[in-house]
Amino acid sequence: MKNAIKIIASLFLLFAFSATVTMAQKWSAPASAKKKQNPYEASTKNISSGKKIYNINCKSCHGDATMGNMLPLQPVAPSDLGSQAFLMQTDGEIYYKVNKGNGAMPTFEKTLSDEDKWMVITYLRSFDQNKKASKKIAEVINPEVSDVRILLDINKEDKRIIANLSGLTKKGDRVALQGIELSVKVKRNFGYLDISGDDAYTNEKGEVSVQFPKDLPADREGHVNLLVKVTDDAYYGEVIVDRIASLGIPTNPVNPLDERAMWGTRANAPIWIILSYVGGVICIWGVIFLVLFQLIQLPKLAKNKE
Amino acid sequence: MNDLPEQKETTLSFEKIKKDILRPMQNHKGLELWIAFLVTVISVCAWAYYVQLRDGLGVTGMRDYVSWGLYIANFVFFVAVSLVGMLISSILGLLRIDWITPISRIAEIIAVAFVAVAGLVIIMDMGRPDRVVNVLIHGRFQSPILWDITVVTTYLTISLLLLILPMIPDLAICKNELKKASPFLKRLYNLLSFGYINTPSQYKHLHKMIRTLMVLIVPVGLAIHTVTSWLFAATLRNGWDTTIFGPYFVAGAFVAGSAGLIVAMYFFRVSYKLKDYITDVQFDNMGKLMVAVCLVYLYFNLNEFLVPGYKMKTGDDVHLTELFAGHWAIMFWSSQLLGNVIPIMLLVTKKFRKPFPIMVISLFILAGAWIKRYVIVIPTLLHPHLPIQNVPQNFVHYYPTAIEISVTVLSFALALLIITVLSKIFPVVPICEIAEQKGIEVKIEA
Repeated sequence: MKNAIKIIASLFLLFAFSATVTMAQKWSAPASAKKKQNPYEASTKNISSGKKIYNINCKSCHGDATMGNMLPLQPVAPSDLGSQAFLMQTDGEIYYKVNKGNGAMPTFEKTLSDEDKWMVITYLRSFDQNKKASKKIAEVINPEVSDVRILLDINKEDKRIIANLSGLTKKGDRVALQGIELSVKVKRNFGYLDISGDDAYTNEKGEVSVQFPKDLPADREGHVNLLVKVTDDAYYGEVIVDRIASLGIPTNPVNPLDERAMWGTRANAPIWIILSYVGGVICIWGVIFLVLFQLIQLPKLAKNKE
Repeated sequence: MNDLPEQKETTLSFEKIKKDILRPMQNHKGLELWIAFLVTVISVCAWAYYVQLRDGLGVTGMRDYVSWGLYIANFVFFVAVSLVGMLISSILGLLRIDWITPISRIAEIIAVAFVAVAGLVIIMDMGRPDRVVNVLIHGRFQSPILWDITVVTTYLTISLLLLILPMIPDLAICKNELKKASPFLKRLYNLLSFGYINTPSQYKHLHKMIRTLMVLIVPVGLAIHTVTSWLFAATLRNGWDTTIFGPYFVAGAFVAGSAGLIVAMYFFRVSYKLKDYITDVQFDNMGKLMVAVCLVYLYFNLNEFLVPGYKMKTGDDVHLTELFAGHWAIMFWSSQLLGNVIPIMLLVTKKFRKPFPIMVISLFILAGAWIKRYVIVIPTLLHPHLPIQNVPQNFVHYYPTAIEISVTVLSFALALLIITVLSKIFPVVPICEIAEQKGIEVKIEA
């Protein structure tokens, strides 16, 4: 019993000690790095693309910004990157830390481009309460709408897809929504191919125009499954429209099981292997039956005394 | 042949040959006891097979990784031993080598028994043996399984014919001499002797048939063991993915088969008192043949292990290290040394080619051959190219269960029982051929 108390006590001490060690190793960037400035402006577009990059590369550990739903890693849990405590740092400091990594935080020096990293920082900065005021200037303010819809207009000759985003105002007018990013996707074998391009933000008419790739293979009729949605569900909830359009290049899909091959079904066995098998069986068993036939004649030969 | 020991010159007459060879078939107390023992063993072990049939293959140690266990190792072993029929009675027979005459029928009996049991072992390895017909109904021509089932039945048929056809004159003698035989046996002798009375045209006709079958069984015999090896070599797995597996298996089969034959020869010589027929000459020559086939096998083993062992490419390295120095090292090296290298070194000296020493050496070779098959089948399966994550512990190890061991004992007992019964109802040494060889006139009454 005394031993158990000792063990628990020492474990407790050990934890306390390790906690101080972690605290002591506070992660700081060099002064030169702190001075670095974000070259990109805090536009809606940049924030939106920053959010996309964040969701792919950062969210799995850090969780949603400001939500505090990060992974509970030990000994140090990842910070909430939308918290004010984090955003106290300069852009340069965050940039430095993203590049270098520390402990469980990996380095993104090579895995993300400079632009991507700055986009993420732009996105995170949008949560900074101190700087928010300065950023709203560039944003277009859409009226409050309901019943948001995407209308698709597909030009088959030019292979151009024009998506129109509109919503119903309180007065009952349908108005175009501007500056909203749309994602235009094509269904492939394993998931969706994003063909939106770099600048899929609705213009003043609420339109996004996307060129369908000229070389994208499709089924026998050239049909492809198109899916257009508002990229960020945060604006109007999930707004999706899908359409089957004959925009792709018609191809004849080959089923590997249709040809005669080693991996095929029995009916599709290669001819040479069927011939070898059947031929071999017929030859060998032919000789066996020939011998059996001769064997039956053996008793008759007993009378032949020559 | 001058260095051979002087044989006791016994004056052999046709009557004496007949008497010597037919005697154990009529009056042999020990043989009946032995049959009773085997039947008891089979009955007890059949219960284990019944349990497997009732509860499914889950009662074996086989799981998702090792799906071919002890049974397939047994299958390869049985096929290997059965190849001795083709080696002795066909290849050496066609070459007109005369010392094989007294032992060719024993070789053929072994071939029939072992290949028949090999086919049964495959069915015993099936959880649903009632579905075996599906292999024929739905089997793909591209699959070695279909070729295997074809070639095993073909080899069994030809081996049976090669057992019966050369025996026709002897069976005609049995029909006349064995008056006290049971009515069933009498009818069997009558049926299988095909009215043979040794007329010149019958003799010519019969020997033409036998020669045809002897030629026919050579490709079929090669095919049976090559196809068995392709069951392994047609996959990409480490240790199986090798181009020499066909000839490697055939060479190994000649070693195992010769060893099996030597052991059988010894027991028939002692138990059936056939010292005048299965003489030291046969053992001495079988010893020399054994050295020859062992050397071929050793050469294949060098190629099979030294070349990949020199390269140690990814995947092979794990497999080979496990064999050379890991979990399988004791089995691997004992099969190589006791089953191949040491027998070669011993059998080059004449005194080890005497009946008793060579029989003991052959037992070691047989054990080595069996272990070798086990080491071919199981270690490869334990290292899949695409391992499953978080597999249960019993997937990554394989230990045969008591049920599997009992079913294995059952198959061995079955093979021995077939050999014993065949040697009880048929003369194990060809009477007429011996007489012809000694220049004694063969008389068969109508």
